[in-house]
Amino acid sequence: MKKIQIILALMIGLFTTVNVQAQDDISPERKQAIDSLALEKVRDLSKYISIIGSKNTAWSEANRVIDRAEELFMQGAEMGVSTLAKPEVDYYKVRQYFERLMRLNYDRVEIEWFKIEYVSDLQRQPDGTYVGVITIFQKFKGYDKEGGLVYEDTTKKDITVYVKRKETQIGGRIIGFWDVLLGDMRVKETSK
Amino acid sequence: MFKNSPYRFYVKRGAFVLFLLFIVLGNNSLRAQSHTVGQIDIDETALYAMTKQMSQFFSRFNNEEDQFGKKTWPSNPAYRNQEIRKERLPLLFDQQNPRTTGTLRDFFIDDLTKSDSSFLKFTGGRWYSEVSATFIFKGKEVQVILLLMIEKENLGSKWVLTNIYFPTFSKMFPVTKMSDREKSFLHPMSHELDFMNIYKAFKEPEIIEYYASKAFKPDYLSLFFYEVKLGNMKFKNVDKLKFHIFQIDNWYFEVSYFNRSGNNSGWLISNLMYTPENEKENLLMFYQP
Repeated sequence: MKKIQIILALMIGLFTTVNVQAQDDISPERKQAIDSLALEKVRDLSKYISIIGSKNTAWSEANRVIDRAEELFMQGAEMGVSTLAKPEVDYYKVRQYFERLMRLNYDRVEIEWFKIEYVSDLQRQPDGTYVGVITIFQKFKGYDKEGGLVYEDTTKKDITVYVKRKETQIGGRIIGFWDVLLGDMRVKETSK
Repeated sequence: MFKNSPYRFYVKRGAFVLFLLFIVLGNNSLRAQSHTVGQIDIDETALYAMTKQMSQFFSRFNNEEDQFGKKTWPSNPAYRNQEIRKERLPLLFDQQNPRTTGTLRDFFIDDLTKSDSSFLKFTGGRWYSEVSATFIFKGKEVQVILLLMIEKENLGSKWVLTNIYFPTFSKMFPVTKMSDREKSFLHPMSHELDFMNIYKAFKEPEIIEYYASKAFKPDYLSLFFYEVKLGNMKFKNVDKLKFHIFQIDNWYFEVSYFNRSGNNSGWLISNLMYTPENEKENLLMFYQP
């Protein structure tokens, strides 16, 4: 219920008619509303990663969640992954990244998210789309059959966020709104 | 109790200084930033202290966010407040490096907080990314340094390549003495002989540039593009990233990423130099020829 209220509040905050002034600069209030919308998407992503990674999730359910997770991203978005042991960046397509997560060879995994989220300023790219980056942190633990911890890491995830002004027609009126999509994600292991 | 008290400001300031001390000393009593998930007690203090993005470096440098990373706006009295800024700025330096922890740093902070114009601006120019990358050049792995800057275009901006550093190219154009160059030239009446003597210029390819105008400067970026286009130079991966910032009058500093535990990590100032404006021009020639 609370989530629906938040989404409704965001919709009201973000939907404006097109005759409102040109959106060259985003006001602090609007930036906060956009940040909240972007954070909602990132929180959805975190939730999906936890479900996909969990060994308790049925294969068909995990695939359904991968579909949902994929919808959060722009087409062509990639994941760039590096670890302390292997600093070279490995690139994965979004779906490929989730499928790898689903197939990890542990008997049990724990995926926890730190509460901290950092949202950058939004910058405009040449075509007018706003780009930002949201940073979140994840703790991962993999256990073997005997319940022994065999792998753990803390990763910093820097997720590109694209914010674009779009228009739609509702009841004959043209309504402008801000569309938020996730882009490339850089996954970097933090020092232990 | 202090709501309408004239000391309210000082009480708040005192509380803030205490917070900073906790951060600097790594005091574990800052448990407000920890939470428990299942069996794990996660202490997030270090993650709050970490300068997580360059965007956050800019915000912290300008004092445009609170200690929890939340943006402040011009209507907030804390926004760009110079006294608070002065207390926070030391946290943006690599505290394990004597070059960035001594009196020069203090002098820099004093200078910064005296002026209302010493703030970083994303699209303000005079700051550059240095990307160390591995390429395969003619079948061998080589390191190339790519320099990039933010350039405004149409409705926004983008990163553009401004120069590269690749020792193989630099060695082709060594700095030479004028006396060496003076021996190699085409005399001023060569045109009357249909430049029949020009073959001499090409007899020694290693010094062909001696026959160019004294204004000639090798354009390494063009050479790089040429090799990329020919397929001789193939990108492999990015190794390291740092930033060079010349935006602040009379100062240059470098920002690098420190992936380490503790409360002094992330994007931090890793080098600092007092550089008068008239000396910057020469330095900038390397970043943006």
